[in-house]
Amino acid sequence: MLNQVILFLPELFFLFMALVLFGLTVASGEPKPRRDYHTALVLSAIGAVITLGSIGAEGHLFFKAYRLDLFSQLFKCFLGFGLFLVICISSKLDGIAERHHPEFYLFLTTSTLGMMLLVSAVELITLFVALELSSYSLYILVPMRKGSDHDSEAGIKFFFIGAMASATMLFGMSYIYGVCHTTYLAEIMTTLPQLIHTPGAVVGMVLTLCGLFFKLAVFPFHNWAPDVYEGGANQVVAFVATVSKMAGMAILIRLVALTGGDSTYLMNVLIILAIVGMTLGNLVAIKQKDFKRLLAYSSIAHAGYVLLGILSMSEIGYASVIYYALAYLILNVACFMVLVTMSEKGQNVKIDDFSGLYKRAPLLAVTLLLGVFGLAGLPPTGGFTGKFLIFIAAIEKGYLWLVIFAMVNVTISLYYYIGVVKAAYLNPPAEGSEPIRISIPLRLLNYALIIVILWLGLYPSTLFDQAKIAAEAVLAVL
Amino acid sequence: MNELQVYLFVALILFCLGLTGVLQRRSLIAMLISVELMLNAASLNFMAFNRFLTPEPAVGQIVTLFIIGTAAAEAAIGLSIILAVFRRYQSIDIERARELKG
Repeated sequence: MLNQVILFLPELFFLFMALVLFGLTVASGEPKPRRDYHTALVLSAIGAVITLGSIGAEGHLFFKAYRLDLFSQLFKCFLGFGLFLVICISSKLDGIAERHHPEFYLFLTTSTLGMMLLVSAVELITLFVALELSSYSLYILVPMRKGSDHDSEAGIKFFFIGAMASATMLFGMSYIYGVCHTTYLAEIMTTLPQLIHTPGAVVGMVLTLCGLFFKLAVFPFHNWAPDVYEGGANQVVAFVATVSKMAGMAILIRLVALTGGDSTYLMNVLIILAIVGMTLGNLVAIKQKDFKRLLAYSSIAHAGYVLLGILSMSEIGYASVIYYALAYLILNVACFMVLVTMSEKGQNVKIDDFSGLYKRAPLLAVTLLLGVFGLAGLPPTGGFTGKFLIFIAAIEKGYLWLVIFAMVNVTISLYYYIGVVKAAYLNPPAEGSEPIRISIPLRLLNYALIIVILWLGLYPSTLFDQAKIAAEAVLAVL
Repeated sequence: MNELQVYLFVALILFCLGLTGVLQRRSLIAMLISVELMLNAASLNFMAFNRFLTPEPAVGQIVTLFIIGTAAAEAAIGLSIILAVFRRYQSIDIERARELKG
């Protein structure tokens, strides 16, 4: 009994954190934003440490519907640290009314909790409920912005596309259940590869993947991303862009691993989605003026690269996606940290607003440079290593033409990423703009992010070995 | 056509009706109802497969219970966001909320 509690400790802790924050939301009296911030910060720091400590845990819980292995624990650790980083950059939470701050932290926590359950779920009902828990929290977070004209519109779009995607996913799951007669992924894994050529299995699998494509903003479920990025508060968008993307990648790996890799139909669908997603994301990103919209389209393109790693369906492919997920998290947090610091009243930041950043705040300019170059995939950042590993995995499986296509896309994407760097380094500061004050904790966070980005780029071997073991755990018959 | 196929066919029609509804309807409430139709189609599928195919008698029904529960939560969240839209635009017509470019 006690053993099981220890296995479930990270989730229990985040549940406890949600309860504490819920207590703050119903507390009466004047809103106290500093108290809320410090509570959330301390609790999420403890949570991140607990997830780090539980990396070695292995076992099954709840009638084998819940599996702990290196894969799930590694992703839980990423999620825990992602939440901590997002809360770190929420110290100046101007985009949300003060009395709603506890709710903001509460829903961030429940969403993270849902994603943690999601990466461990190996049964269809568990998977569905966990996915809905994380999505519902996000639906509420997006329209929470203060004084914006677009937040409710972005919220309603996000909600309807999300609800549609999850209904489609359920419909697909019902076919998988009909074909395999079970809801356990372990049993599906043994029966589905033989049946994958039957229409029922293919339709079921493709429809099920739709729900996850929505989470990752893969084409054709991408069009919520730019609107939500523009309409949501900056910190909420930071969460959607980083933590929620990682959970999507994790569960996509789990589900695609189910098919065993011999379905040509499914492969063709994934290849087409990867190609269209990359091209569309990169081409539309070129003409964006708003930095958050640019990041939204770049995230659509990145979902395409991730699909490339997943459709190589090999241990190396999955391991490279795990590595890429972490690099993507750190790089995006770096970009959003600069964005949040730049935006004084929680407003959106245009690319022109970065003009002269190297004079106004040299440290921020360096972080932005590394973050943006990392997303573009230039060495020596983590983004380069991640892309490199994914492309190697795809070439090993004989998708050379697809990799060449992706390389062309990477080159296109350089254009708009360099536009951001050019604004920050070459353009003169606007008239009357003042230096940006950076507090000491923020300065430390900056240094930490810079070090991690470079470390991921230069010394990938330790983490990549762990990722390979985690990928083996997914591929092993459960 | 055997009995299972009839159920699957009805569910498919429900699903397509729901999908068309979400994409075509302009009223937010009607869109919400269409999403519920899609969820019900999935429930019907689970029940039909459960009744005709699977050895274990209960699993499909449990899934359906979960779908009903989450659908209720989804409706609550959807209605609250619709209320926010209504306060902002004084209308629940989706055409009014069209300022973002998508």
